[in-house]
Amino acid sequence: MSEIVLECRDVGHWFGSNRVLNGINFQVAAGQIVALVGPSGCGKSTLLRAILGTHPPKQGEILANGRKVTRPNRDVGIVYQNYSLYDFLTARDNVVFGLMLDETSLLTRCLRPFEYRKLRNVHREKAMAYLEKVGLAKAAHLFPAEMSGGMRQRVAIAQALIMEPQILLLDEPFGALDEATREELQLMLLRLYQENREAKQAGVKPPYTILIVTHELNEAIYVSDRVLGLSQYHEGGEQGATIVYDKAAPVFHPGDARNFEEFERQKDELRNAVFDPEQNQHHAEYVAFWQNLK
Amino acid sequence: MLVGQPIPLSQRILLGATCILLLIGAYTIWSETLSYRKREEVAKKLPPLESELQTIEAQLASNPNDDDLVQARQNLQDRISRVERDVLVAKDRRVPTWKTLYTDGLLRVTEGQGLKKNEYWLWDDTKATASRLISGMLAGVVLSLGLGILMGAYSPIEAFFLPTLSFLAKIPPTAMLVVFFILVGVGEDMYVTMIVFGMLPTLAIAVFQSAKKDVPESLIYKAYTLGGSDAELIWNVIFKQILPRMIDAVRLQLGPAMVLLVAAEWMVAGEGFGYRLRLFYQRTDMSVPYLYLMILGVAGLTMDYMLIFFRRYLCPWFGE
Repeated sequence: MSEIVLECRDVGHWFGSNRVLNGINFQVAAGQIVALVGPSGCGKSTLLRAILGTHPPKQGEILANGRKVTRPNRDVGIVYQNYSLYDFLTARDNVVFGLMLDETSLLTRCLRPFEYRKLRNVHREKAMAYLEKVGLAKAAHLFPAEMSGGMRQRVAIAQALIMEPQILLLDEPFGALDEATREELQLMLLRLYQENREAKQAGVKPPYTILIVTHELNEAIYVSDRVLGLSQYHEGGEQGATIVYDKAAPVFHPGDARNFEEFERQKDELRNAVFDPEQNQHHAEYVAFWQNLK
Repeated sequence: MLVGQPIPLSQRILLGATCILLLIGAYTIWSETLSYRKREEVAKKLPPLESELQTIEAQLASNPNDDDLVQARQNLQDRISRVERDVLVAKDRRVPTWKTLYTDGLLRVTEGQGLKKNEYWLWDDTKATASRLISGMLAGVVLSLGLGILMGAYSPIEAFFLPTLSFLAKIPPTAMLVVFFILVGVGEDMYVTMIVFGMLPTLAIAVFQSAKKDVPESLIYKAYTLGGSDAELIWNVIFKQILPRMIDAVRLQLGPAMVLLVAAEWMVAGEGFGYRLRLFYQRTDMSVPYLYLMILGVAGLTMDYMLIFFRRYLCPWFGE
């Protein structure tokens, strides 16, 4: 199996006496697109912020690419729901921004302006390639205020992807978009997964590892190859949410028809295991991704 | 007409121009009326003199060779012609007419004055006031922006400065003038210090609040995931994001800075707009003050629009 890029070891978190996360263990391998679902208020955002490193967990540890995450860094990328782009940069410059911050420093930009200009042209070409990939080459010169929600979210994805992070976190990325735009962006994720498969066949490390938080079960099963369920309803009745579901999801090719009836069995299973307060026994049988793999 | 309904540009210009014309018209009527009354007041001296003249003429008619009477008539005629001249030039300088504004105002401040005719008031005052204002504003803006951004970026710096700054911001800067006169003296340094300390508390707090409110934390976290360093976070994210709002905050501080400067010049300066206004105020001669007030207004508007254009040029993304 390919290498592990994200690992949560016994992660727990609490606010005062309110325990939010409890004993979370899972691993994500390079090239996986993992959907994280769970009832609202179960701690998805808390887990995501812990992985991002802005609010490290109070218990356990999170390893990204083998290194412990203590603060946000370039190994973990993020796309927020509210398309947080830099207002003062055009679409292209928003995508260039990461390369600029990562590969040059404030000092070198000031002291070696000519070298920086050369490098910047390289960055711009690369950014244009990424904008092409998300279908926005024509909008490169627009500011975020001049773009629609769907365009902004594509720029945000290109901005994160160009960094080639070990893992990319998508926090309900398509929640605020209309149906047609959402489907288009889901297709974009499938195309990224297609690239992963081609890379695997060619024997290189797959480029995109994505953890997508969503409240849409159809979306979760459609775009991912693995679904994680986080829920406070689990055996023993202990406080705090933990992983109660971990199974493979059917893989779709970009051209495939969306046959949502195929999803029904897995959706029923998810509703039982993750969203039903009564069904809180034996969740271990649903956490079977790695066993099934063997 | 509905509340909040917009009007076309032509109407907007028409209404604005009407207000200006009304102001000019009202001023014209006011100043002309006052001058007319002044001339009448001076002219009241004429009738008694004229009746006296008639008496002398009558005496002369019966006694044509009395030299004393001839001499008295001559003196009286001189006095009358002096009064008649006074009537012609009588001016109420509390609200000078446009003509007086030109002859006693504009001509006086642009022509050489003083014994050696080497004082050009308008030029000297403008140079003095503008250099104080510009150096004070520059120093104040740089310090306030730096402090405000650091306060926005680092909570310990905020916790350290914010209570004191909030307190200082509530003291009227003009009341603080006494402190500057005593501690810094009344040289040119005083004006710069005064403007810096006058604008720093308010401006630094405005910049700090903008840095807190207008930079969502998601943008900060994201910049870290894009490989940004702390310095890059401050310069490439926070500074760039709040630049237009900082320029607007500086625009708002232009007025208070000018108030402070003119007040200080009024009290201690030997040249400058405040000084000249005080001199003419003591003579109840408003021909130069009104001119200076117009110049101050136009200068303030010009600086304001320069900052607006500056913002549009630097931050095309910000809109209006």
